[in-house]
Amino acid sequence: MKEALELINRMQADGVIERYAIGGAVGATLYLEPAATLDIDIFVRLPGDPGSSLVSLAPIYDYLKLHGVRAEGEHVVIGGWPVQFLPVSTALEEEGLQEAVGAEVEGVRAWVMKAEHLVAIALQTGRAKDYARILQFIEQDVVNRDELKRTVEAHGLAPKWEKFKARFLNE
Amino acid sequence: MSKERRKKLASLSFSEKVKLLEKLRERSLALAEARKKLKEKSQKQSP
Repeated sequence: MKEALELINRMQADGVIERYAIGGAVGATLYLEPAATLDIDIFVRLPGDPGSSLVSLAPIYDYLKLHGVRAEGEHVVIGGWPVQFLPVSTALEEEGLQEAVGAEVEGVRAWVMKAEHLVAIALQTGRAKDYARILQFIEQDVVNRDELKRTVEAHGLAPKWEKFKARFLNE
Repeated sequence: MSKERRKKLASLSFSEKVKLLEKLRERSLALAEARKKLKEKSQKQSP
Protein backbone atom coordinates (compact mmCIF):
# COMPACT_ATOMS: atom_id res chain seq x y z
CA MET A 1 0.00 0.00 0.00
CA LYS A 2 2.99 2.25 0.60
CA GLU A 3 3.69 2.25 -3.13
CA ALA A 4 0.09 3.24 -3.93
CA LEU A 5 0.17 6.11 -1.45
CA GLU A 6 3.52 7.37 -2.73
CA LEU A 7 2.16 7.50 -6.26
CA ILE A 8 -1.07 9.22 -5.17
CA ASN A 9 0.96 11.82 -3.25
CA ARG A 10 3.11 12.37 -6.33
CA MET A 11 -0.03 12.74 -8.42
CA GLN A 12 -1.22 15.43 -6.00
CA ALA A 13 2.17 17.19 -6.05
CA ASP A 14 2.06 17.15 -9.87
CA GLY A 15 -1.35 18.82 -9.79
CA VAL A 16 -3.34 15.96 -11.33
CA ILE A 17 -5.55 15.86 -8.24
CA GLU A 18 -6.15 18.75 -5.92
CA ARG A 19 -6.93 16.83 -2.75
CA TYR A 20 -7.59 13.25 -1.76
CA ALA A 21 -8.75 11.27 1.24
CA ILE A 22 -8.86 7.56 1.89
CA GLY A 23 -12.36 6.32 2.64
CA GLY A 24 -14.05 2.92 2.87
CA ALA A 25 -12.61 -0.02 4.77
CA VAL A 26 -9.00 1.16 4.52
CA GLY A 27 -9.96 4.58 5.87
CA ALA A 28 -11.87 2.91 8.69
CA THR A 29 -8.71 1.01 9.59
CA LEU A 30 -7.25 4.22 11.03
CA TYR A 31 -9.86 3.96 13.79
CA LEU A 32 -10.86 0.28 13.96
CA GLU A 33 -9.22 -3.13 13.93
CA PRO A 34 -8.19 -4.19 10.41
CA ALA A 35 -10.84 -6.04 8.41
CA ALA A 36 -10.33 -7.87 5.13
CA THR A 37 -10.80 -5.65 2.12
CA LEU A 38 -9.83 -6.06 -1.48
CA ASP A 39 -9.42 -2.47 -2.59
CA ILE A 40 -8.63 1.09 -1.56
CA ASP A 41 -11.26 3.82 -2.03
CA ILE A 42 -9.71 7.20 -2.71
CA PHE A 43 -12.01 10.23 -2.78
CA VAL A 44 -10.51 12.90 -5.01
CA ARG A 45 -11.11 16.41 -6.20
CA LEU A 46 -9.59 17.31 -9.52
CA PRO A 47 -8.36 20.84 -10.25
CA GLY A 48 -11.24 23.02 -11.37
CA ASP A 49 -13.77 20.34 -10.43
CA PRO A 50 -16.72 22.00 -8.68
CA GLY A 51 -17.83 18.65 -7.25
CA SER A 52 -19.74 16.77 -9.88
CA SER A 53 -20.12 13.03 -10.35
CA LEU A 54 -19.80 13.65 -14.08
CA VAL A 55 -16.19 14.73 -13.78
CA SER A 56 -13.81 12.78 -15.98
CA LEU A 57 -11.13 10.68 -14.34
CA ALA A 58 -9.16 10.63 -17.60
CA PRO A 59 -6.34 12.86 -16.27
CA ILE A 60 -5.77 10.38 -13.43
CA TYR A 61 -5.78 7.37 -15.73
CA ASP A 62 -3.50 9.12 -18.24
CA TYR A 63 -1.04 10.01 -15.49
CA LEU A 64 -1.07 6.50 -14.07
CA LYS A 65 -0.61 4.97 -17.51
CA LEU A 66 2.51 7.09 -17.94
CA HIS A 67 3.75 5.59 -14.68
CA GLY A 68 3.17 2.05 -15.87
CA VAL A 69 -0.01 1.45 -13.89
CA ARG A 70 -2.60 -0.82 -15.44
CA ALA A 71 -6.37 -0.50 -15.18
CA GLU A 72 -8.59 -3.44 -14.23
CA GLY A 73 -12.22 -2.50 -14.79
CA GLU A 74 -13.09 0.33 -12.45
CA HIS A 75 -9.82 -0.05 -10.55
CA VAL A 76 -6.19 0.64 -11.20
CA VAL A 77 -3.66 -1.68 -9.64
CA ILE A 78 -0.81 0.04 -7.81
CA GLY A 79 1.73 -2.00 -5.89
CA GLY A 80 -0.61 -4.98 -6.03
CA TRP A 81 -3.57 -3.05 -4.57
CA PRO A 82 -6.68 -2.30 -6.64
CA VAL A 83 -7.39 1.40 -6.13
CA GLN A 84 -10.70 3.03 -6.95
CA PHE A 85 -10.72 6.79 -7.49
CA LEU A 86 -14.03 8.37 -6.55
CA PRO A 87 -14.56 12.01 -7.52
CA VAL A 88 -16.34 13.78 -4.67
CA SER A 89 -19.94 14.28 -5.74
CA THR A 90 -21.81 15.37 -2.60
CA ALA A 91 -21.37 18.13 -0.04
CA LEU A 92 -20.75 15.43 2.56
CA GLU A 93 -17.89 13.90 0.57
CA GLU A 94 -16.47 17.36 -0.10
CA GLU A 95 -16.52 18.12 3.62
CA GLY A 96 -14.89 14.75 4.30
CA LEU A 97 -12.12 15.68 1.89
CA GLN A 98 -11.65 19.15 3.39
CA GLU A 99 -11.45 17.88 6.95
CA ALA A 100 -9.39 14.75 6.30
CA VAL A 101 -6.70 13.99 8.86
CA GLY A 102 -3.07 13.20 8.21
CA ALA A 103 -1.74 9.72 8.93
CA GLU A 104 1.42 7.83 8.09
CA VAL A 105 1.98 4.46 6.48
CA GLU A 106 5.59 3.34 6.73
CA GLY A 107 6.79 6.93 6.65
CA VAL A 108 4.48 7.96 3.82
CA ARG A 109 1.97 10.73 4.54
CA ALA A 110 -1.63 9.94 3.71
CA TRP A 111 -4.96 11.73 4.16
CA VAL A 112 -7.78 9.81 5.73
CA MET A 113 -11.38 10.86 6.31
CA LYS A 114 -12.45 11.58 9.85
CA ALA A 115 -14.44 8.88 11.64
CA GLU A 116 -17.62 11.00 11.60
CA HIS A 117 -17.45 11.43 7.83
CA LEU A 118 -16.74 7.75 7.25
CA VAL A 119 -19.80 6.89 9.34
CA ALA A 120 -22.02 9.48 7.63
CA ILE A 121 -20.95 8.29 4.16
CA ALA A 122 -21.56 4.67 5.19
CA LEU A 123 -25.01 5.71 6.40
CA GLN A 124 -25.68 7.46 3.11
CA THR A 125 -24.50 4.42 1.09
CA GLY A 126 -26.59 2.13 3.26
CA ARG A 127 -25.48 -1.40 2.29
CA ALA A 128 -25.39 -4.16 4.92
CA LYS A 129 -21.59 -3.97 5.11
CA ASP A 130 -21.81 -0.20 5.63
CA TYR A 131 -24.19 -0.65 8.55
CA ALA A 132 -21.91 -3.31 10.04
CA ARG A 133 -19.02 -0.86 9.86
CA ILE A 134 -21.06 1.90 11.52
CA LEU A 135 -21.79 -0.49 14.37
CA GLN A 136 -18.07 -1.14 14.78
CA PHE A 137 -17.40 2.59 15.04
CA ILE A 138 -20.11 2.97 17.68
CA GLU A 139 -19.21 -0.17 19.65
CA GLN A 140 -15.56 0.79 19.78
CA ASP A 141 -16.45 4.32 20.79
CA VAL A 142 -14.17 5.92 18.19
CA VAL A 143 -16.71 8.35 16.84
CA ASN A 144 -17.68 11.64 18.43
CA ARG A 145 -21.45 11.29 18.71
CA ASP A 146 -22.10 15.05 18.95
CA GLU A 147 -20.01 15.73 15.88
CA LEU A 148 -21.67 12.86 14.04
CA LYS A 149 -25.08 14.30 14.92
CA ARG A 150 -24.04 17.67 13.53
CA THR A 151 -22.70 16.03 10.36
CA VAL A 152 -25.79 13.92 9.64
CA GLU A 153 -28.08 16.89 10.33
CA ALA A 154 -26.07 19.18 8.07
CA HIS A 155 -26.29 16.71 5.19
CA GLY A 156 -29.93 15.67 5.43
CA LEU A 157 -29.18 12.29 6.94
CA ALA A 158 -30.87 12.82 10.32
CA PRO A 159 -33.97 10.71 9.50
CA LYS A 160 -31.74 7.86 8.30
CA TRP A 161 -29.59 8.13 11.43
CA GLU A 162 -32.66 8.07 13.68
CA LYS A 163 -33.89 4.93 11.90
CA PHE A 164 -30.46 3.32 12.22
CA LYS A 165 -30.29 4.09 15.95
CA ALA A 166 -33.77 2.70 16.56
CA ARG A 167 -33.06 -0.45 14.56
CA PHE A 168 -29.53 -1.31 15.65
CA LEU A 169 -28.74 0.63 18.81
CA ASN A 170 -32.11 0.57 20.59
CA GLU A 171 -31.92 4.32 21.03
CA MET B 1 -12.81 -12.13 18.22
CA SER B 2 -12.99 -10.91 21.80
CA LYS B 3 -13.74 -7.27 22.56
CA GLU B 4 -10.35 -6.89 24.22
CA ARG B 5 -8.50 -8.33 21.24
CA ARG B 6 -10.40 -6.00 18.89
CA LYS B 7 -9.56 -3.03 21.08
CA LYS B 8 -5.91 -4.03 21.15
CA LEU B 9 -5.82 -4.33 17.36
CA ALA B 10 -7.59 -1.00 16.98
CA SER B 11 -4.96 0.69 19.13
CA LEU B 12 -2.10 -0.30 16.82
CA SER B 13 -0.54 2.37 14.61
CA PHE B 14 -1.98 2.88 11.13
CA SER B 15 1.21 1.43 9.62
CA GLU B 16 0.91 -1.73 11.70
CA LYS B 17 -2.78 -2.06 10.85
CA VAL B 18 -2.08 -1.58 7.14
CA LYS B 19 0.48 -4.42 7.33
CA LEU B 20 -2.24 -6.63 8.84
CA LEU B 21 -4.65 -5.50 6.10
CA GLU B 22 -2.12 -6.62 3.52
CA LYS B 23 -1.78 -10.03 5.18
CA LEU B 24 -5.57 -10.39 5.34
CA ARG B 25 -5.82 -9.49 1.67
CA GLU B 26 -3.11 -11.95 0.67
CA ARG B 27 -4.91 -14.66 2.62
CA SER B 28 -8.26 -13.84 0.97
CA LEU B 29 -6.67 -13.97 -2.47
CA ALA B 30 -4.90 -17.26 -1.69
CA LEU B 31 -8.17 -18.79 -0.47
CA ALA B 32 -9.99 -17.61 -3.58
CA GLU B 33 -7.25 -19.12 -5.76
CA ALA B 34 -7.37 -22.43 -3.87
CA ARG B 35 -11.17 -22.56 -4.22
CA LYS B 36 -10.85 -21.89 -7.95
CA LYS B 37 -8.30 -24.71 -8.36
CA LEU B 38 -10.47 -27.13 -6.39
CA LYS B 39 -13.47 -26.26 -8.55
CA GLU B 40 -11.46 -26.77 -11.74
CA LYS B 41 -10.15 -30.08 -10.43
CA SER B 42 -13.61 -31.35 -9.54
CA GLN B 43 -14.95 -30.27 -12.93
CA LYS B 44 -12.15 -32.18 -14.70
CA GLN B 45 -12.85 -35.31 -12.64
CA SER B 46 -16.59 -35.33 -13.21
CA PRO B 47 -17.65 -37.37 -16.26
